[in-house]
Amino acid sequence: MTAKGNIVTIRNLSKIYRQGEINVTALDNVSLDIAAGEFLTLMGPSGSGKSTLLHIIAGIDRPTSGECQVQNIDVTQLDESQLADWRNQNVGFVFQTFNLIPVLTAQENVELPLLLMKLSSEQRRRRVAAALELVGLADRARHLPRQLSGGQEQRAAIARALVTDPALIVADEPTGNLDSHSAQEVLGVLQTLSRNAGKTVIMVTHDPKAAAFGSRSIHLEKGELTA
Amino acid sequence: MNIPTFIIKNALRNKRRAVLSVLSVAASLFLLVTLLVALRELTSPPEGLGAALRVAVRNKISITNPLPARQRPIIEHISGVEAVTPFTWFGGKYQNEEGMTFAQFALDAKMMRRLFVDLKMTDAEWQAFTDEKTAAIIGKVTADKYKFKAGDRITLDSTVYPGALQFKIAGIYHGTADDRNMFFHQDYLDDSIGIPGQVGMWWLKVKTIDDMPGVIAAVNKAFANTSAEVRAESERAFQLGFISMWGNIKVLISSICTVVVFTLVLVSASTMSMAIRERFRELAILKAIGFQRRELFTLILAESFGLTVAGGLLGIGGAYALFTFGDISKMTHGIFIAFEVTPKIMGTAALVAASLGIIASIAPSIAVARMSVVNGLKTLD
Repeated sequence: MTAKGNIVTIRNLSKIYRQGEINVTALDNVSLDIAAGEFLTLMGPSGSGKSTLLHIIAGIDRPTSGECQVQNIDVTQLDESQLADWRNQNVGFVFQTFNLIPVLTAQENVELPLLLMKLSSEQRRRRVAAALELVGLADRARHLPRQLSGGQEQRAAIARALVTDPALIVADEPTGNLDSHSAQEVLGVLQTLSRNAGKTVIMVTHDPKAAAFGSRSIHLEKGELTA
Repeated sequence: MNIPTFIIKNALRNKRRAVLSVLSVAASLFLLVTLLVALRELTSPPEGLGAALRVAVRNKISITNPLPARQRPIIEHISGVEAVTPFTWFGGKYQNEEGMTFAQFALDAKMMRRLFVDLKMTDAEWQAFTDEKTAAIIGKVTADKYKFKAGDRITLDSTVYPGALQFKIAGIYHGTADDRNMFFHQDYLDDSIGIPGQVGMWWLKVKTIDDMPGVIAAVNKAFANTSAEVRAESERAFQLGFISMWGNIKVLISSICTVVVFTLVLVSASTMSMAIRERFRELAILKAIGFQRRELFTLILAESFGLTVAGGLLGIGGAYALFTFGDISKMTHGIFIAFEVTPKIMGTAALVAASLGIIASIAPSIAVARMSVVNGLKTLD
């Protein structure tokens, strides 16, 4: 059972990849609580398991053992179909490489997750406009990704992540492909979402400056929490 | 935006490839329709109005072997026979043309009107034809081609008989299944360069459809164990037998059709696989944000289906337009006079296009269904 005030409760989580004859431990008996509204940064060297932990919390990967409850739901017990629905309604994704669909405009990219919800076109339009306004991209709504700068693309990706109003936003090195100015803008947006909109943000980063935007930072080393 | 808009934008993201894919399907389906129509035209010859009552009688050994003219009165006395005419191949070449460009047959002009009721001419033309021994009538297709008109005189050099014959055109007919042929008097052939006492074959008309089996049996029996045994058969059977002399063309064309469809499946499947492989990462994103396997399958199927059906419509429509509004006789140098794209053929081709769309989407859909979001995100990283 998720502790009161915690949106994520992880207990004894392990993930072992099998590469040929060798077992590679990505996560080793990790236990962690994340409070609602928290801006948590996951740090650690490459291969430390931080992205794997993020993927399991977000329901796009499965652990070998252990429990991962998000909003009182053990996501490790959901089937593929249930997980897809759950992700659509509860998780927003932000990736290092933006991952916008190149043939869709910024507003169409943001609208994509809403196509799975029973909303009228007018409801969708309003939600998209609000999300783009929140990330400061209202004036670029009709631009294609190639017509946007890196920072603007990432802000569009953040708008796509929050347009379904999820409780949880996961970001995997969102500033990895950005210059320092754009990185500051994007981190500022994530921080605002956590502080003002009450969203729980979990961000993987290598960058201590980026981690400084979070309310808490934890470190992983060889699949174990070290701090 | 809605899902259909998303599908269309995806399908057209690489416009050159989309256009080439549509054109390759269109070209293949155009070819398929052409082959199916050719197959139909070759194996199902058009039937004239009076075909149900006509019987062809040819030499049992081969259609190229002649029959004795003395058989005629015997045939005429068989119960159920209404009219009989000889029908002799002349094989004439017109002017300096290399080969024979239209067929000519010698027959009994007086019996012809009763036998070939679908052949239309004015009474004056019929009269002129029957009254003059050197008269001939020519189908409208050939008359238009050579600009022949009634009263013209033409000379044909026979490739069967030694020498040439001059004919006076008495009329231009139309209304038959093949308005290309020329007909003239058997007497004229016999009395000039022909072999009196020999005809090519007989055409009979039976009084009623019920008389057909009895007449056929009686004609065959009448000349059994003679020096000129015959084979009598209905017009339809005769036409199909004639076609069988082409060899097993049905198998040949069917084989080509199969190869066309098989190649098309490979091309379409390869195109769709390529298009989806390039988008693996994007499809992983769609999965991450909540798209389920069935929704991704629908996206891929719709895109694949759209491309093949668009190509199908273009190819089938193009074939229909060309063969319906084009001059097929001119295009095929007279090999085909009709080339009808029937609803059944269009339906078959459309079904092939639709099936292609479905088949081409199967492999990429399976790949996407098996793909985990994490692995998909690593693609092209």
